[in-house]
Amino acid sequence: MSEMKDFNSATHPDWCPGCGDFGLLAAMKMAFAGLGLNPHEVMTVSGIGCSSNLPGFINTYGMHTLHGRALPIAQGFKLSNHKMNIVAVGGDGDGYGIGVGHLVHAMRRNVDMTYLVMNNSIYGLTTGQTSPTSGFGMKTKSTPFGNPEVPLNPLTLALGSGCGFVARAYTGHTKRLVEIIQAAIKHQGFALVDTFSPCVTFNLINTHQYFKDNVKDINQEGHDTTDLAAAWKQASREDVITTGIFYQKVRSCYEETEEDTLAEPLMSHKLGITSEQTQKLCAEFI
Amino acid sequence: MNQVKDNIIVRIAGAAGDGIASAGEVFGRICARSGLHVMAYNAYQSAIRGGHVWLQLNVGSRKTLSHGEAPEVAILLNRTSPALHIPMMKKGGVVFYNSSQIQEDLSKMRDDVTCYGIPFKEIFTEAGVEAVMANTFLIGCVVGLLGLDANIGLEFIRDRFKKKGEQVIALNNRVFQGGIDWVKKNAKPMEVHLKGDGKRRMFLTGNHAFGMGLLAHGLKFYAAYPMSPSTGVLHYLATKARSHKLVIKQTEDEIAAVNFIIGAAHAGVRTATATSGGGFSLMVEGVGLAGMMEEPIVIINVQRGGPSTGIPTKQEQGDLNMIIGASQGDFPRIVLAPKDTEDAFYTAGRALNLAEKYQTPVLILSDLFLSEHFQTCDAFERLLPIERGKLIDHTEGGYKRFLITEDGVSPRLVPGAPKGMYCSPSDEHDEVGNVISDVLAGLPESLDIRNKMHPKRMKKLDMARREDIKLPTLTGPKNAELTLLGWGSTYDAIEEACEYLRQEGIETNHIHFTDVYPLPNEAVREMLESCKEIVAVENNFSSQFTRLLRAETGFDVKRMVNRFDGEPFTGEDIFNRVKKELAYV
Repeated sequence: MSEMKDFNSATHPDWCPGCGDFGLLAAMKMAFAGLGLNPHEVMTVSGIGCSSNLPGFINTYGMHTLHGRALPIAQGFKLSNHKMNIVAVGGDGDGYGIGVGHLVHAMRRNVDMTYLVMNNSIYGLTTGQTSPTSGFGMKTKSTPFGNPEVPLNPLTLALGSGCGFVARAYTGHTKRLVEIIQAAIKHQGFALVDTFSPCVTFNLINTHQYFKDNVKDINQEGHDTTDLAAAWKQASREDVITTGIFYQKVRSCYEETEEDTLAEPLMSHKLGITSEQTQKLCAEFI
Repeated sequence: MNQVKDNIIVRIAGAAGDGIASAGEVFGRICARSGLHVMAYNAYQSAIRGGHVWLQLNVGSRKTLSHGEAPEVAILLNRTSPALHIPMMKKGGVVFYNSSQIQEDLSKMRDDVTCYGIPFKEIFTEAGVEAVMANTFLIGCVVGLLGLDANIGLEFIRDRFKKKGEQVIALNNRVFQGGIDWVKKNAKPMEVHLKGDGKRRMFLTGNHAFGMGLLAHGLKFYAAYPMSPSTGVLHYLATKARSHKLVIKQTEDEIAAVNFIIGAAHAGVRTATATSGGGFSLMVEGVGLAGMMEEPIVIINVQRGGPSTGIPTKQEQGDLNMIIGASQGDFPRIVLAPKDTEDAFYTAGRALNLAEKYQTPVLILSDLFLSEHFQTCDAFERLLPIERGKLIDHTEGGYKRFLITEDGVSPRLVPGAPKGMYCSPSDEHDEVGNVISDVLAGLPESLDIRNKMHPKRMKKLDMARREDIKLPTLTGPKNAELTLLGWGSTYDAIEEACEYLRQEGIETNHIHFTDVYPLPNEAVREMLESCKEIVAVENNFSSQFTRLLRAETGFDVKRMVNRFDGEPFTGEDIFNRVKKELAYV
């Protein structure tokens, strides 16, 4: 059995004091320990951005890769060693901007993994430009006259892409966040958890106070998580900012379609072929 | 030259969708089973139906080195074919066509070419005979004309239609035999002596050989996005996924494909992808990532005519500059350009070994010609040993993924081992994997780390030069007055050109590179300096390899022959171009 401290890394996060990402990092450690996972059983994969520095700040196996490419790498890894628990992490620019193509296909492909997005509606590491989830009219360094584009809704995108686990949480609500991360990891298939993770330096609109005042957990008012239409409705609400588990449906995950091949993890297969097999392969062309 | 003629050039032409590829394969496989050698080239367009296509096969008792120029025997399958191909026929050539389909009288087109129009529909009136079987009939005609063993043809047809039942086999055999009989009765035999050596050869493409070579040497995970002319590798491997327990993944794009295989490589799985230039352009960032994170990946780039979409179904060796320079910054890479189908098989295995030995990207440069042309090849009997380099699965703690070692290669721990947790970053990092760009940026310590880690990776190239990179081959007389220099898939065509040049009394040899990067610079320079006159032969516009040689060795090859119209070289073509180049003072 592991404890939360087993997941502490020797490297202290270099995030700004007050950054929402601290909340997610702590919740991940609690969730892993709570599920009884050991550090060597987890692979944390990220792209590029402030939040994508996370794999260096947690004691699991990790890959800190390219901007927008965490998901293809994580899926390639998972299909090669499906006994490990794969958690991809990153920001809204990483996942909903440059990497959104991969996200859509990962959701419909349904490899068994969890994707935690630290959504702050701003580009932080590049010092404050508009992001795919920045509000309409929001003034940033790249949109000094206001953002002319409407924000992307990651939840309805996920619901429309065949994602079997769609949730949202605020990183300041640690207890609920831990529950949702655990449910996401336990979910068999691809799970998306969008988290509000405020940027205290470059986004002075979507602040901790803003989320504390406005989020509402839909699971507390009896939302049916198997009802796709209800999930869509809750995800599109404009009166409050809804959080919680919106939708959950287990369908067979990608690895199950490769059941025979993946009886053992690919990385432990014996390599090479016999001379009989070689002869047979050659004979196909004679 | 009173030599007995021991090869023949056969062309099959028609509209895309007429079954030319299939007819050509049937004829080629019958020749291959007869112990003959075949080199075939498929000229096609980017259209599934309707474009004009032709396949040319050079069949010989000895190894045929190119698909040849003017055809000597032709099968014409549609109405646009005669006007296009009869003028190209060699004097004395023979044409077969189905006169139920092509009704014009072709005999008047050329006095020196014999055209046999055979009314297939009138000859075969029995039920079950379909129009497409005329192809089988016409192949029977050619088999008869060339005096090949009818039984081998009948046996092949039996194997091919095995799943369709005895009735279909019998019908096809009758049609095929009908062609042979028709020729015996009506046509003058061809003056050619084709004699097999008793070996039953394979007849396959470079893409088949790449796929089989990967499979035979431990490939477990393959991800790719379809792109001509590389897709054959995906198609081949997909059929083997179940029988050989492979994960074959068609991804959403080439960016995903390269990153999927990086993930697989990181997990300790042998992995590869194939694409063409446009797809490789999208993979470029991933190539650099694999260089930085020291991941063993293999990418086969099958070149086609560029730039941009270019000429998608045509030949070019135009991606060398891109491959050598792909991705920002310096990192070690190995670039291999196999010379023929057999070499494609072994290069695939070798690339998987080298990728793991050096823990860095190995890039294979193929091209449309090598990847898609069919060629006979002896069955592969020997496999390369699978060498996994410094792969480990266990640690007692204190593991450093990027440990600085003498040869620059660090022990590579398969993730999942207890006590081994580490993070591989795309940022510059220390031996453990801590990134220097955030916490240590600007501190003297970060400069120190950078000054150690960058050379650590680059050092791998020294070992590659020392232990693995093959010197170019030299064929022909040692101190020849003329040297033809080439790389990759042009090997056979240059060999053929050398034969022609020698027949003209010009003593010629051939230097050929299959390992194009890194180059053993001094040895190569020495080799080139000992030559009297060098002509570099490249299937591209700007002599990209010649430029690489100049940059790496300082040796300046001054005479060049370039072909960039989308067609592959033949020996005859190189011969003519070299003579023109030499006449130019």
